[in-house]
Amino acid sequence: MANRHIYLDHSATTPVDSRVVAAMTRALTETFGNASSVHGFGQQARAAVDRARREVAALIGARQNEIIFTSGGTEANNLAIKGLSSDEPGHIISSAIEHPSVRGVCDTLEDRGWDVTRLPVYENGIVRIDDLKKAITTRTSLITIMSANNEIGTLQPISEIGKLVAAKRAEGQKIWFHTDAVQAVGRIAINVDDLGCDLLSLSGHKLYAPKGVGALFVRRGVRLRSQSIGGHQERERRAGTENVPGIVALGEAAKLARDEFSERTSHDAKLRDLFEHLVAERIDNLVFNGDQKHRLPHLSNISFRFIEGEGLLINLDLQGVAVSTGSACSSGTLEPSPVIRALGHNDELARGSIRFSFGKDNNEDDVSFAVDVLANSVKKLRELSPLNKPSVLELQPLNSR
Amino acid sequence: MSYSSVFKEHLANPRNVGDLANATAVAEETNPVCGDRIRISLLVDNGRILEARYLAYGCPPTLVSGSVLTELIMGMTLSEAESLTRAELIDRVGGLPSRKHHAAALAIETLRAALNQVSQVISEGRQIESR
Repeated sequence: MANRHIYLDHSATTPVDSRVVAAMTRALTETFGNASSVHGFGQQARAAVDRARREVAALIGARQNEIIFTSGGTEANNLAIKGLSSDEPGHIISSAIEHPSVRGVCDTLEDRGWDVTRLPVYENGIVRIDDLKKAITTRTSLITIMSANNEIGTLQPISEIGKLVAAKRAEGQKIWFHTDAVQAVGRIAINVDDLGCDLLSLSGHKLYAPKGVGALFVRRGVRLRSQSIGGHQERERRAGTENVPGIVALGEAAKLARDEFSERTSHDAKLRDLFEHLVAERIDNLVFNGDQKHRLPHLSNISFRFIEGEGLLINLDLQGVAVSTGSACSSGTLEPSPVIRALGHNDELARGSIRFSFGKDNNEDDVSFAVDVLANSVKKLRELSPLNKPSVLELQPLNSR
Repeated sequence: MSYSSVFKEHLANPRNVGDLANATAVAEETNPVCGDRIRISLLVDNGRILEARYLAYGCPPTLVSGSVLTELIMGMTLSEAESLTRAELIDRVGGLPSRKHHAAALAIETLRAALNQVSQVISEGRQIESR
């Protein structure tokens, strides 16, 4: 129905950069060998994988041999947490707003007898260091807390957590710190030494690389149990023939993310801020979710009172604006966004939240078009909503009361 | 499944939105699980629905079900409206994925609650005046 299509869902996935496509195409057509083969074709593929590993390492301030390539962020999170959890149940600390790939693994460990502490976030969507200090016991062997939330973009105090973990380790405790940085890498400056994390997950398709490739940083000295059995790839920590084209694409995307970091982040922040300014000018009864300072530069999460997120999302989509919502209504059961609920907001706000996430290919015209469409859709859905009208009792005819 | 062109058209241009100031009956029902809500106002004369209006809060199938239903029932006799089923409404919106059938069920339930009010008025012997 729409003639114009504006993509404002870069936190879900990004379009693949044409330079990444070119690098990947070369890998598909020229560097097609098996990176484990000893002949020339294999060695060319090995060299391409090594170059990509250097680029990914450079993006996050790691050493080349501390990068394990995976199929994406979910596998990286699974490998990190499962790879560090021993058969003997212990204690793990996480947060209430983790991505399902972390939350789900923690739930599974809990079923196997582990104690799991899920730190609360408050109205700002950020965990408190004091809560973490209180939660750590002598049995705590792993802390897994995301760098930036995928729905509201709030930045967690990762370097403070890293310092706390280092202090505990200095006291003799065997404790590791993993962070899911899938949303953060390429969006904010990431240096694993500054953060003090032992493991860090990242994903290619959030960085203008294709789906199906990601990486896990594993600090030297951390012993990780492989979750797949087979070959000796990735230093015995992830068996399986390397996805050379995907890895090459991730390497190219990492290089571009590093080279263009300042330009991209200031561009995204400028568009996001313009968007929020225009929205606040034209639409009332809304709540900007999460801390407005400590958050990703490209993301805005807004709850619109009196209307439901999915209704608004589809209306926007039919007019050419692609966004996402944290809640979904299915089979008569609604799952209001657990992240928005964790902020202490009620169900109406949790049901009416929409995430807008900007990218390097958006421009100011996109913002102004999206705000026009949004303002009209919100107006229409509010005219349709019974929530902002007199109650039915006031309207019932006298003869039926 | 993707939504039908009828569905998309009603979502873009919902019909019969609002309340009726001179309604014979007004009913509002909420799905207690997902929170979706529909309000239907009816103006009835001589056993026939002259006007219908609706308001809705919820996912797109809920918004569209109200629009299609109100369009469908205007001009119907009370007994014709009473016999409408969820399946017929789903058919009229051009089909819904099974996980969204509850939206049509809520619209039908709200219509029946409004029709019950009309029946109550009639059974209590109160004349619905011609307007």
